[in-house]
Formats: sequence, C-alpha cells, structure tokens
Amino acid sequence: MFELFKEKASALMAEVYSFKNRKEALEFIKGFIKENTSYEDKNSVVWYDTWFLDGERKEDLLAELPQITFEFTPEIASQAKIGINEVDGAIAESGSLIEVSNRIQKRLVSSLTEIHIAILPKSRIFPDLKTALRSFNLTNVPYVTLISGPSRTADIERVLTIGVHGPERVIIVCVENL
Amino acid sequence: MLKEEIKKALENPVISKALTNFYEAYVVAREKAYAGLDFEEIRNEIVRVKSYAAEHFDELIKKFTEQATKRGAKVFYTKDPKEVINYVLEVAKTHNVKTIVKSKSMATEEIHLNKHLKEAGLEVHETDLGEWIIQLAGQRPSHMVLPAIHLTRYEVSDIFTKKVDAVEPDIKKMVKFARKNLRDKFLKADLGITGANIAVAETGSIVIFTNEGNARLVLTLPKVHIAVVGIEKLVDKLEDIDPIVKALPRNATAQPITTYVSFITGEREHWDGTKKEVHIILFDNGRSEMAKDPVFKEALQCIRCASCLNVCPVFRLISGLVFGRVYTGGIGTILTAWTEGLKATKDIQNLCIQCGNCVKICPGKINIPDLILEIRRRLAEEEGLPLKVKAIYSVVNNRKLFHTALRMASKLQKPFKQGPFIRHLPLAFAELTQERSLPAIADKPFRDQVKKIKQPDAKEKVAFFAGCLIDFAYPEIGEALVKLLNQAGIKVIFPQDQTCCGAPALYNGVMDVAANNMLQNLKALEQENPDFIISACPTCTLVLKKKGLLALRNQKVSQDLIAKAEKMAEKVIDASYFIHKLIKEGRITFSKPLEEEFTYHDPCHLKRSLNIWQEPRESLQKAGLKLKEMFESDICCGMGGSYSLKFPEISVKILERKLKNIQDTGVNLVCTDCPGCIMQIRGGADKKGLDFKVKHSLEVLAERL
Repeated sequence: MFELFKEKASALMAEVYSFKNRKEALEFIKGFIKENTSYEDKNSVVWYDTWFLDGERKEDLLAELPQITFEFTPEIASQAKIGINEVDGAIAESGSLIEVSNRIQKRLVSSLTEIHIAILPKSRIFPDLKTALRSFNLTNVPYVTLISGPSRTADIERVLTIGVHGPERVIIVCVENL
Repeated sequence: MLKEEIKKALENPVISKALTNFYEAYVVAREKAYAGLDFEEIRNEIVRVKSYAAEHFDELIKKFTEQATKRGAKVFYTKDPKEVINYVLEVAKTHNVKTIVKSKSMATEEIHLNKHLKEAGLEVHETDLGEWIIQLAGQRPSHMVLPAIHLTRYEVSDIFTKKVDAVEPDIKKMVKFARKNLRDKFLKADLGITGANIAVAETGSIVIFTNEGNARLVLTLPKVHIAVVGIEKLVDKLEDIDPIVKALPRNATAQPITTYVSFITGEREHWDGTKKEVHIILFDNGRSEMAKDPVFKEALQCIRCASCLNVCPVFRLISGLVFGRVYTGGIGTILTAWTEGLKATKDIQNLCIQCGNCVKICPGKINIPDLILEIRRRLAEEEGLPLKVKAIYSVVNNRKLFHTALRMASKLQKPFKQGPFIRHLPLAFAELTQERSLPAIADKPFRDQVKKIKQPDAKEKVAFFAGCLIDFAYPEIGEALVKLLNQAGIKVIFPQDQTCCGAPALYNGVMDVAANNMLQNLKALEQENPDFIISACPTCTLVLKKKGLLALRNQKVSQDLIAKAEKMAEKVIDASYFIHKLIKEGRITFSKPLEEEFTYHDPCHLKRSLNIWQEPRESLQKAGLKLKEMFESDICCGMGGSYSLKFPEISVKILERKLKNIQDTGVNLVCTDCPGCIMQIRGGADKKGLDFKVKHSLEVLAERL
C-alpha cells in the first residue's frame, strides 16, 4: 500500500519519505528546517502539533531551532516558509493526503506556507477514497481536505506552474512505528 | 451580431491556436489519466447518482438543509436569482463587510452577483488566477474551466501592469505576483464566497475542488463564508462523490485528481476562537423545472467538466467568447436555455454542427447534440421560422416541386460549371464557393440513369435509398453500389417516389417537414417490399433508421404509421456495413486488387451514431488497398449539411484542418462513406489545387471487381 501511495504521490510532485520511528522522522524534520530556514528568521516555521511531539521537550526544540513557532495567527502563517502538521490519513490509489481539521490553525499551515511538511502514520494509508470516507465520520468533522501534491495552476497559456495560493512543495513524512 | 463576433474570433490568432494546442495535448493526457480505470463504468455511476438526485430534488433539498443546519450552517433555498443577491447583501450588511474574496463559482456568474455587489459599494476580488485576470481585464471567460485561455502571457502582463503593478511577461513571475497581491486580499477580507462542486444531502457537506488552493483560503480566512450552490450539485450519499472525484479532473484537464478537494460540514469556530458563520444558498433558477422536463432532465447529469468544449471542433475555433453566454459551448447552450430562457439561445444554438464528438466524452452521458436539436425544434415551434427558411422547406416538402427545381438548377448552373465543379457563384452566393468548390448538379440524376442499368434477375432484392446528393450530384456512387450488389447476386430496385430523407428539415428543427419526408419515403419504400433498404449516405441511414421516427412521434402521427416506420427502420442498413458483410461472406470478390495507399475519413454520423468505422477500412483492405491513418480521422470535415451554408466561415476553417491532416499522410486517395463529406473535402481540395482524389468507398471497391 505504501509503495503505491508513494508512486502516486510522487507522480503528483509530492516528496515522500519513510521513517521507522518518530525519532528518525524528527531528526529528518529538524535537518530540513535547518537547511531551508535560518534560526534568525523568527516565525519562519509554523508547527501545529497535537501528538507527534508528545514526550519531547518543546523548550529544547525551540532552543535548538528558534525559528519555529507553535502559536500563530493567519498573518504569521502567511509569512512562514515552512508549515508542519499531522495528517490523518492518505489514499493510495490517488496519492492524496487526508487532512482533518477541527481547528482552523491546522489547515493554515498547509494552505498559507511555501512548504508543507505532513506527518503521516503509515498505518493510516487507505486503498481508495471509498474506504477512506467510511473511516472518517464526516458528520463530526467540520472540515476535511484531500491534498494531492503542491498547489498548481495552468491558467496562463496552459503552462503548469507550481505554488499559486498554496504550498509549492509538499513533503510527506511517513512514520512506521508510533 | 453573431456573424461579426465569429469574424472577430476567427481573425484572432491566439484563440484557435491556444484551444487547438490544448485539445491535442488533452486527448493524449486524458487517455493516460484514465489508464487502469473503466470510463464507461465511472460514467454509468455518475448517471445513476445524478439522475437519482434530479428525480428527488425536493427530498434532497430537505435532507441537506436538515443535516447542514444541525451542524451549524445556515441554509437558504430559493428559486429566484434576486433573492440570492438580496441574501448575500443582507449578510454583508449584518457583518459590516467591506471586502469580499471569491473563488470561482458559475452559479454566481449566472446571476451576475459581482456586478450587484459592486453596485452596493463592496470590493470583490476573484481569486482563481484565470478569473482574476478576466476580472481585471473586464472581459468574459472564454472557457468554463480555462477562463483566460484566449490571452497570451504578454496580454496578461499588460493587464497586470495597467491594473495592479508592473510585472514582466514571465509566467512563473506572474504566478508569484498573483500569490503576493491576492494574499493581502485574503487576509483582509470580511467575507468569502465560493460555489461548490458537490453537495452531499446525507451529511450536509459541500465539496469544493481547486488546484490553486484559493478556495481553501476563501472559506478559511474570512469570518463569514457563503457558498452559492446550484441544486444540481446535490447527491444523496457521501459515497456518491466517488465517481465525480474520479471523472471531473480527468475529463476537465486530464489530471488524475484535483489538488485540493475540501469538505465543509458546518463550521462554528473561527481561528481566534470567535464564532464563524457558514451560509449555504441552494439555488434553483429553472433547475427543478428542468428536472420535470422529460427531455432536458438529462442535462442535470452535467458535472461542469467542460470536456465537451475541449473536443468541439467549432468551439476550438471561436471559443466561449462567441459560442455561449455565462455557460459556454454545447452544454452551455443547453444550460442557458433554462437559466436565461429559450430565446437567449436563439443565435448560439445554431453553432452546434451536430458532429457528436462531445457525446462519447461526456462523463454524464448527455447527448448534447440531441438536446440542442430539441432547443432548435422548440424555438421553431415557439418563434416560427424565418420566411426564407419556410420557403425552402415548402419546396423540400413537395417531392415533385423539389426534384423539378433540382433539374432546373442543373440547366441554370451551366455558365458556372467547370467540369464536375462550380467554382464561383455571383452576388449573394459568392461566399459559398469562396473556399470550396461545389459539385455541379449531374446532367442526369441517378433516378433516370438507374433505369438503363441491366441487372440480373435475382431472388434477393434490396431497395436503394439514394438521398439527394447521390441522386442529383454523385450518381456514380449509386452505380457503384448496383455493380457491387449485382456481383453478389442481389438486385437493386430504386423506388422512384423516394425523396429527401428529411435530415435538412430535422437538423433545422422543422419537424413537420421532416415527418412528411419520412412518410413519403415510407410509402415509396414499403411498396416494393425489399429484403433490405440500403443507403450510401450515413445521414440518410440515421434518419431512416432512428431520427425520422422521433420526428414522426413528435408530430403525433398514428400508431399504425409509426409501427410501419419502425418495421422499415429495421430493414435500413448503411451500404458500408452491408457490403462489408457480403465481402466477408465471400459473395463479393475482387479480381483487380490493385495495390494503392489510402487514408480514411470517418463521417460523423457513420462513426458516432451508427458505430461503423472498422468495416469500411476492412473492405478496402480486402480489395488490396493499404491503409495509412490520418491524424484525427474521425473529426468532422466541417460539412454538417446545411451548416456549411449557415456558417461557411467556420465550415471552411474546420475543412482546412482536415485537408492538412490528409496532406500530411502523403497519400493520394481519401476514402469515406458519406457524399456530404465528399462534397466538402473534394471541393476544398479543388479550390486549393491539391492533387489527392476523394472517393466514396463504394466507387473504389467497384473499380476493383
């Protein structure tokens, strides 16, 4: 299932990485942040976290990477280069991520930033849309988005161009043992 | 007015180039996007889901309203466009709204919402890149999915520079420019307005598709969100969205999936913890009336992918700037008939050439050409016909008068005739021969010539229905058919009372004349009690076999006559199919199987209405010919019967492309099975001095017996 998902998501220009555990995934994310932002750029990373950093000391992370912020407004998210959140599932047949956001902040990081890092539990990859829809009780969720690759347009001369209103890169961090 | 717009569009070098380039890439990419999926199965699902919804609008509106309301949305249903506008203005007033961001919504365009909002002093920004460009330019979208496809990067750069700020004509830079400029609008807006692609009754959710991600910002950032949703977007169950999610992006832009598919199911809280408001306006404007119409309810299966525009040979020349109003192209014409009224389609409905290329691609399985024909018929019924048209059909309605007129024309044409062609006509008729020569009317029609042909006495006999073109312009095609059938031991009879098949009247909505033609032919043909009725013109075949029956039913002729016509219809076979069968059975053999290369042009009605395309190719190959396929062999040649008289300027443009595709094969022989296509392609080749031959397959086969 993961292989099919990776193939389909990569075809949509998403970048897919797989890690054995949370620690490895976190190391990758930290490295990515260091490579793409400077610690002097305050608020250049907006992170909406609900479980991934459980057990980590956020103060330590902030000391190491002060460009991260866990509290933000739309204006701040709009200026940020990287947005990080956990997604709730994925669809193998189309290479899509499923983002369920009860709170609006969760979707700000994936809709306003330049780079979206999506943390995906490997166990939550569904074969197809129908199966995925059955596993989410939509009636209890105000907002769900399927995200399939970076934001794109072809409105000028039909030339495919990446990164219009949403992120121009989507990095999928798939974690096996959680 | 329409003629001027057509002229302007045809003279614009960008429009047809952009649409044609897109189309060529689209056809290939769409195939790829559907790889591994069964399109027929998906579209059958869409038909099931959407037709169910259309039959249960009242119930689904009620269910959706209950469910969405329960989850905190405010739902408002109305039939009246004015009430939509008032509702939006009221919400804006209540929340002291100054600026509005919008993501693309056809329903709001249908009621010209932006205009009303602006008049009320509100600032409105479209945020889909194409729509924003069009809004800044003060233009109309040229395509439902690709609104700015008629503009070049240079024009876009000019528009941006004039209306917003200086930017180079570099696409990447202009996209970034849009991101930056619109980002401020998103953050400052007090109200976001969207449409919806689907509304799910079971959960009260609306589903919105965007590639750019603008809709997510429109419905997330402002405190108030209004979705304006046509009731045709309703589906019953959540799982009903599956075939639409699959087909919409694949058919619209050949993408496997739209980048963002968002579900909104009643939201209560804004990002800062304050209250958020979601309003859903379920909007009717003629849709529930449409659902009650036994013919037009089919159009509610449309998912607005606009693939019918992508493959339309007329649309790709003139775009939605000419072909359509708010909704464009063939489907746009049908929707306009209901949202704006039948009269609003008076001019544009004529633009459909009836080639049927859209039918095979429509994910809602809507027979667009048939529905346009029905518009034509209702218009003729309601508005009456222009005097000129009436005069023509009163002649066609009377066989003797009609045939006398054709015989007279054969004499009158003498001064203009050069060999088998008429290359120039004077005065008002000059345009008809400007880009293509017309066939001269034969000295002796087939109905006279056939009497002199000696045929073997055979047990099997078939009746030949010649149709006007073979009878009066190309009798040699009729002779070829007789020769072929005689070899198989079949006698051909030619009922002399046969007349025009009725297609010209039928395709112009003149149903009484079409029905009368049908009845005359029925009488003439059944008298002889033939085993089969053979036609060598696919349009005649189609009318005798299918369409003519509709005309009879429409004119409410007696059940007895309809039963007789149905019996006759069963006996009607297109010559291309019948001859192929005889060849396969070994009843026709070739003693002169000369090797020669040929290319084949598929007549629209033969391929798409009668589903015959392999048979004529096989027959010709059996006779020793070698096939070299041309590009787009099944795209219309531009003839379309009387279409080429109504819109010669469009007809010849379509023809030019066909001629080029033929030339590109480097082959000297084009075969086809329709005398109308022969008239068009041969005439174009003659005018341009091209040296390939254009022949009916029957002629080529008969030469090789």
